[in-house]
Amino acid sequence: MASLITCPHCGTRPKEEFSIRGAAAPKRPSPTAKDEAWHRYVYVRDNPKGRYQEYWHHVAGCRRFLVVERDNLTHEVFGVTDAAELERAGAGE
Amino acid sequence: MSINLLHRHALEDHISGFETDPNPNHLCVIRRPVIFSVLAHEGQETAVAEALWNAEDVAPRFCSPSEWFAVSRTLGAETVAGTLSEIAGASVVDQSDGRVLMEISGPSVRTILAKCVAIDLHPEVFEEGHSASMLCCHAEANVARTGADRFEIIVPRSLAGSVFELLMEMGREHALTRGFAG
Amino acid sequence: MTSYRLGSGGAINRGQSLTFTFDGRSYKGFDGDTLASALLANDQMLMARSFKYHRPRGVVTAGSAEPNALMTIGSGARAEPNARATVVELYNGLTAASQNRWPSLKHDFGAVNDLFSPFLGAGFYYKTFMWPGVLWEKLYEPLIRRAAGLGKATMQADPDRYEKSWAHCDLLVIGAGPSGLMAALTAGRAGVRVILADEGFRFGGSLLSESAAVGGQPAAEFAAEVVEELATLPNVTLMPRTTVFGWYDDMVFGAVERVQKHVASPSPDLPMERLWRIVAKRAILATGAEERPLVFGGNDKPGVMTAGAARTYLNRYGVAVGGKVAVFTNGGSGYRTAADLLAQGVDVTAIIDARPQSADPVPEGIRIIRNGSVIATKGRYRIDGLIAERSGFEEVIGCDALAMSGGWSPIVHLMCQRGAKPVWSDEKQAFLAPDVGGAFVAAGAAAGQASLGECLTDGAAKGHAALEALGRLVGTLGTPEVEGEYDPSFAPLWYVPGARDKAFVDFQNDVHVGDLGLAQREGFRHIEHTKRYTTAGMATDQGKLANVNTAGIVAGMRGVSPAEIGTTTFRPFYTPVSFGALAGTARAEHAAPVRTSPLHGWARKNGATFVESGPWYRSAWFPTDGEKTWRESVDREVLNVRVNAGLCDVSTLGKIEIFGRGAAEFLDRIYSNSFLKLPVGRARYGLMLREDGIVFDDGTASRLSENHYVMTTTTAYAAEVLAHLEFSAQTFWPELDVRFVSSTDQWAQMSLAGPKARIIMSRVVQDDISDAAFPFLAAREVVLRGGLKARLFRISFSGELAYELAVPAGYGEAVADAIMDAGREEGICAYGVEALNVLRVEKGHVTHSELDGRTTADDVGLGRMMAMQKPDFIGKRLSMRFGLTAADRLQLVGLKPVEADKEIKAGAHLLKDGAKPSTANDQGFVSSACFSPTLGHFIALGMLKSGRERIGERVMVWDGLRGSEVLSEVCPPVFVDPENSKLHL
Repeated sequence: MASLITCPHCGTRPKEEFSIRGAAAPKRPSPTAKDEAWHRYVYVRDNPKGRYQEYWHHVAGCRRFLVVERDNLTHEVFGVTDAAELERAGAGE
Repeated sequence: MSINLLHRHALEDHISGFETDPNPNHLCVIRRPVIFSVLAHEGQETAVAEALWNAEDVAPRFCSPSEWFAVSRTLGAETVAGTLSEIAGASVVDQSDGRVLMEISGPSVRTILAKCVAIDLHPEVFEEGHSASMLCCHAEANVARTGADRFEIIVPRSLAGSVFELLMEMGREHALTRGFAG
Repeated sequence: MTSYRLGSGGAINRGQSLTFTFDGRSYKGFDGDTLASALLANDQMLMARSFKYHRPRGVVTAGSAEPNALMTIGSGARAEPNARATVVELYNGLTAASQNRWPSLKHDFGAVNDLFSPFLGAGFYYKTFMWPGVLWEKLYEPLIRRAAGLGKATMQADPDRYEKSWAHCDLLVIGAGPSGLMAALTAGRAGVRVILADEGFRFGGSLLSESAAVGGQPAAEFAAEVVEELATLPNVTLMPRTTVFGWYDDMVFGAVERVQKHVASPSPDLPMERLWRIVAKRAILATGAEERPLVFGGNDKPGVMTAGAARTYLNRYGVAVGGKVAVFTNGGSGYRTAADLLAQGVDVTAIIDARPQSADPVPEGIRIIRNGSVIATKGRYRIDGLIAERSGFEEVIGCDALAMSGGWSPIVHLMCQRGAKPVWSDEKQAFLAPDVGGAFVAAGAAAGQASLGECLTDGAAKGHAALEALGRLVGTLGTPEVEGEYDPSFAPLWYVPGARDKAFVDFQNDVHVGDLGLAQREGFRHIEHTKRYTTAGMATDQGKLANVNTAGIVAGMRGVSPAEIGTTTFRPFYTPVSFGALAGTARAEHAAPVRTSPLHGWARKNGATFVESGPWYRSAWFPTDGEKTWRESVDREVLNVRVNAGLCDVSTLGKIEIFGRGAAEFLDRIYSNSFLKLPVGRARYGLMLREDGIVFDDGTASRLSENHYVMTTTTAYAAEVLAHLEFSAQTFWPELDVRFVSSTDQWAQMSLAGPKARIIMSRVVQDDISDAAFPFLAAREVVLRGGLKARLFRISFSGELAYELAVPAGYGEAVADAIMDAGREEGICAYGVEALNVLRVEKGHVTHSELDGRTTADDVGLGRMMAMQKPDFIGKRLSMRFGLTAADRLQLVGLKPVEADKEIKAGAHLLKDGAKPSTANDQGFVSSACFSPTLGHFIALGMLKSGRERIGERVMVWDGLRGSEVLSEVCPPVFVDPENSKLHL
């Protein structure tokens, strides 16, 4: 885990201000998606080693959900983006 | 019957007894500030922020890209509500009773606050006029620099007692005094 | 007693004499002394007993690596065990006591262990006390612990304050020796924010022990001059007495500052210690190097110490470590020590150099034995001689101290704490700091630099490089000239053969060379295994002196390079950190933040007993005169609510203001039931599910205007629900126009319940609140008599006619007082959360006792709240799974004892009547139970397999934990007013 996270809205903050919600990759399926898709979304998580994306909720700051891209082996943080902005950027592609 | 509407401050029980003259390092609890939450709706963030920063006698405090506190020590709640209601694309909530506003000032203020918040309050990093939400004495707080050696701290009312006691404890070696104002 | 204090010299204040005691005896020292230097000045070389063999020990070092001279400082609640006398700053009135000895330091009964030592090698305890296993915990371990050990911790509460602080800087310099001072000065002059931290109480590091001249003045004076300049720079923070103990992610360093450890009477306004978290853009490790002890027979006896330590006591403290000092060395340090001793008039009997030849200048008049070694030392409480060996010839040389030098090991701990391993250098014969990226670099001796001049230059260069990286480079800085420096290089010598006594590698854990050999023979060959088998490096000093020698010796035994052996893992803390410092303020009343309701004062003056509920203090019940038990109070409160009325503080419920054109749609997707058509001015009970279909939380949402709702949550889940809303809005549906903010703290909210609630409320509220004007589930802004705007909700948890009134928090107490006044004639009472719980159990309302993270809406009888016609809501999809709709799921039922005087307790299991208690026979459990004063007997809510089909059946309520069995009847969960007639009065 990182000691400090640089929130795009609030600046550099200690990890104590955040609450981690887990992998950011799984996307909520449509209500009509197959059972398997829902099962995977709710219950199945990869446990990757290395670089991955994770939701960090800036609970004691802006209260935004951030996507932290980090390496869970070296603890290097590659980037922190507002989840909604990432969502919008993804939708625009 | 008519209700005797006595207003009680959350720190009434914490600040009682003999009032002393403030020392150079002083924690001042503002008795009746007006504090509103201002929420900007989708796409209105910039416009709402601009309007807030232009509002007279209202100090804006940054909470998130779409949320601010609007603080006033001089205007009444109705007046502030009136001003804010004219901002298009914003929703506002009166939080005057739900938040406690403290002002800490003095030559040792940064040393004291370094024990309360994790972020760098160096004037080149956290400039005058800057504000942000952060953990302060384990509580979610909004901290603003209002002068070279002066900061405003806004904390939830229910946690104000805990935060106040810790601030005083951290200020002990710097002879921090406290009292109500306003 | 001989005085070993020199007539002059040293960085001590001879004008200020200090009195202290050691083992009850009084001594004198000077301001600027450490406890160790003062003891040495007083001829007290014997300072401790070793951990396992109880061998007499003195000091080995003059710094924080000290393995031997551990003492208990202070007494009573302030007694601190295992303090290293070499770093304890002397103060007037200091009391020190030796440890691990009985009855006294000189006559220690435990020393018998040394006689049995042939049997007490590594692993002895494991092998000997294996069987019977049961005796290990009860007999062997306590006995061994009593025999071998350290000081005892006090059992009294710590009287001192501790605190934590953050610090931020451009450059953190760790260590204020020659390199650190030059790095800090270079960066400080350029104007960047510098923190210079040093574990010692005086900045200067090795310069304070140095006899060379720097910049044309004595080294210590040069150091003082640099420190003086640094102190004038506003951008430089000097942190003496501060050990940087850990390096953490993102350039965060942990440090502990001993604020008042050196003070005779600590100020109550200052902390004893302060824990720092230092955020640095860049950092320089200038921690210097540790001199290695030589590993030879009897190398642990009092009087044997590193040459550098002897030099420090001499030059810094003005103390000769002996009257006749011998030197055993494999490098230049021994020669310099001999020369310095000689210069101060101390007799040096011989230099025994392990090397056949060297270029080191031999001080005039000193006998030199080249290619020699020491194989034993003589004497017990202080050596009185040594046996030297050369080419097979032995010779006894008289001496009362022996300065040894086995070369230098850079102190690289901090740079290795995040996984990187130190790198062996054949050239330097040392483990060097790994490359951990440019932000954190080593300088000077910590980087493997040898001479003083090189250290000064390297420090300045590394400071310069930091400035360049920070983009703040200005000019260049010359480094001062050094005169009379020596070459500290050395030839490797890991182990001196021919030992006549144990040759210790780890002094503190009494690990000797024989133990390392045993570990290799028995297969514990990996260095981490060797460490754990022998305990080398596992003492409180974490092997600061031992680890490199261990690697070298093991490498020699296996015929490989130390590079192949490597080191064990480095972890924080560099030196021990007190629990007080780690806890900081988080103890007693500051252990955790406390939340109080705006009606706390009202409850208190009405005599409430409070209960902790998460961070909140809630009023639990309100005892009146004569009530002796909580049950009496709760029964009275419940009956009074059912008959008259009661007022309860519900301010702790979470409140969230929700705005936007998309708010209705948002709520419709968040709740399982429908919210699109909720009219303005109405409240609705809502159920939230988790995405897996299980109930998450319940509460109400009221539509205050077209695009403005206020949601309430349970007290316990207020924070989770807000986070859930935020997650949903921000990541699922960012396109919805919805904004929300918590207003929990803004409102004092009180529930007025009971048949007389309306008449009382109407005396307080101006608005018409008749049933027609303000029906069940009405919710809107009202005006109180006196003009205050408030929110009124007609909702009920108790099943009675009830209102929740919310007023701005500051007015809470005044309004609650007014309601109590208004209801006095009607017999109003204050009631707490215990009575509230009884009222809701009687009414069959669920809380998180039932919504326990396993139940579906249907399980708790709320299946009608699943609006399956909605296209989507959170939890909809997985709630349709077979497993969540199966008929044999546990379902909410009521339970009442067949014999009316029997008590049902929550947590008990449900069994078919006559079935044996077993997992297979388990039919469910009691989720909530209470005495119902309304019905006059105990009632309970429970989760029972296919419960709704089993109304009327008798089940056994089996409580194995508390040993009771109560035959009970399954009944509908609503015990009081199942027709809801009271709600609509």
